[in-house]
Amino acid sequence: MLEAQKGFGRQRRYREQKLAFLAIRLAAGLSLGVMAAIIIYIVVNGVPALSWAFLTEFPRDNMSAGGIFPAIVGTVLLAVGALLTALPLGFGAAIYLAEYARPGPLVTAIRLGVANLAGVPSVVFGLFGLSLFVTTLGFGRSLLSGSLTLGLLILPTVTAAAEEALRQTPASFREAALALGANRWQAIRQVVLPAALPGMLTGAILALGRAAGETAPIVFTASAAYTLLLPDSIYREVMALPTHILNLATNSVHIEATRPQQFGSALVLLVLVLGLSTFAIVVRAKLRRGRQW
Amino acid sequence: MVAEPQTIIEARNVDFYYGDFHALKNVSINIAAQEVTAMIGPSGCGKSTFLKLLNRMNDFTPGARLAGEIFISGASIYGPDADPVDIRRRVGMVFQRPNPFAKSIYDNICYGPRLVGIRKPQDLDVLVEKALRAAALWDEVKDILSKSAMELSGGQQQRVCVARALALEPEILLMDEPTSALDPIATAKVEEWIKNANLTIVIVTHNMQQAARISDRTAFFFMGELVEFGPTMELFTRPQETQTENYITGRFG
Ligand SMILES: Nc1ncnc2c1ncn2[C@@H]1O[C@H](COP(=O)(O)OP(=O)(O)OP(=O)(O)O)[C@@H](O)[C@H]1O
Ligand SMILES: [Mg+2]
Repeated sequence: MLEAQKGFGRQRRYREQKLAFLAIRLAAGLSLGVMAAIIIYIVVNGVPALSWAFLTEFPRDNMSAGGIFPAIVGTVLLAVGALLTALPLGFGAAIYLAEYARPGPLVTAIRLGVANLAGVPSVVFGLFGLSLFVTTLGFGRSLLSGSLTLGLLILPTVTAAAEEALRQTPASFREAALALGANRWQAIRQVVLPAALPGMLTGAILALGRAAGETAPIVFTASAAYTLLLPDSIYREVMALPTHILNLATNSVHIEATRPQQFGSALVLLVLVLGLSTFAIVVRAKLRRGRQW
Repeated sequence: MVAEPQTIIEARNVDFYYGDFHALKNVSINIAAQEVTAMIGPSGCGKSTFLKLLNRMNDFTPGARLAGEIFISGASIYGPDADPVDIRRRVGMVFQRPNPFAKSIYDNICYGPRLVGIRKPQDLDVLVEKALRAAALWDEVKDILSKSAMELSGGQQQRVCVARALALEPEILLMDEPTSALDPIATAKVEEWIKNANLTIVIVTHNMQQAARISDRTAFFFMGELVEFGPTMELFTRPQETQTENYITGRFG
């Protein structure tokens, strides 16, 4: 009888396992399917709008013709600006938190602040940027204000990812450098940072991909509906892909007529963001080669 | 042994605290130049703590406090004139787990020399070969110096760490259980190196056979105290203290 029970138990466990695997597969398949559907939808609708002219020309005839060149340039510039803002601050904060700070109320407060900042809706960052950079500091609606706002938006993510990467580098690296007569800063700069950099950069680039697709932070701080020229200084307004799509879909004179432009822009934005993520992954893989610990 | 060998490290009434925890209790010891001194004792008895005092690696431990004095070649290493960075260059350290940097073998060895300002490639090449030969690793890696040290076997990695420490030409080498992460063959290579090395070595080990094989003198620590210290043969064959005897006969662990 005992033997029979054993057999029964084994059979049931086997069935449970099969069911669990099935559920996991379904969940994975479903999310993959939804993602594929979105991408296919945008590709199918966007590809007809794509052409060399679409990528390299300015919009014409109330946006219903021409291209999105200034919006692409604007988005790239905003992304670079955001990175230039967030990297020094975020990496600095992460190095402080991971390497120098003694555990205590201050560090706990900073870390809580960083974590909470990551959860703040992006429109709040937009309003903050409007009030601080655009108005108070007098930078106006400009590439500068938009970059700073986006930089602040990704700052918590950049900081958290960088701190995590720093913490994952073995303490033994630090010890070894110190034991060879390095001071703490030398140990960090020469040994810890190079080892942590792939992880730190990956986090930053992934965050950047997200920032490049954000609308709310730049709609008040940087983006123009239309510019005649490319920006010649950081104090100029710029066009950007997300706000361009928003404008075409909500404000433009010919909402229906500009559908192809909307999908075309969405596709370009998607490629840009996915491209950034892929780039991040490739960079990580390259830098990590022969550096596993 | 002809004459009493020259003392290179002298610890005088050393007490050490991690916060409130009294980790070393009134330890006094004279360590001889050019010898291998082994430190044995049960886990947590303070061997690593003592070792790290000798190159001031405990400076980085928050809340740590030292009383007493330690001299190396006659100069107090915790005195007002002592320069911790200089001390760490003169007293090298090899850790329990191989910890090469995520850099090439060559750059690992050059790390210390570069810190002291040696930059010329010709000079560095000479130092790298010398250090790798001294660590008995040259023949195995001479053709792959630009390969990442992380890709070597554990035993090779540990000898990279030895070579990296030796590249600064230290007077003393501290080794904290350097073979505990290695297989028997790699262990044998490192032990072989230790026996033939031409410098003062202080080695912590959990392996009493190892202490017996490679060391000239052995110190037995127990709960923060130095219980017994003497020539290895004597300590293992005729221990003076009951605690030592109990430990080496395996009556407690
Ligand atoms: N950074 C630290 N902070 C607080 N206590 C510590 C610290 N490092 C070590 N200790 C304590 O000091 C005592 C001695 O530690 P130590 O590492 O010197 O022991 P050990 O003899 O090397 O042991 P093992 O053989 O396990 O390596 C232990 O009780 C340990 O818990
Ligand atoms: Mg130890």
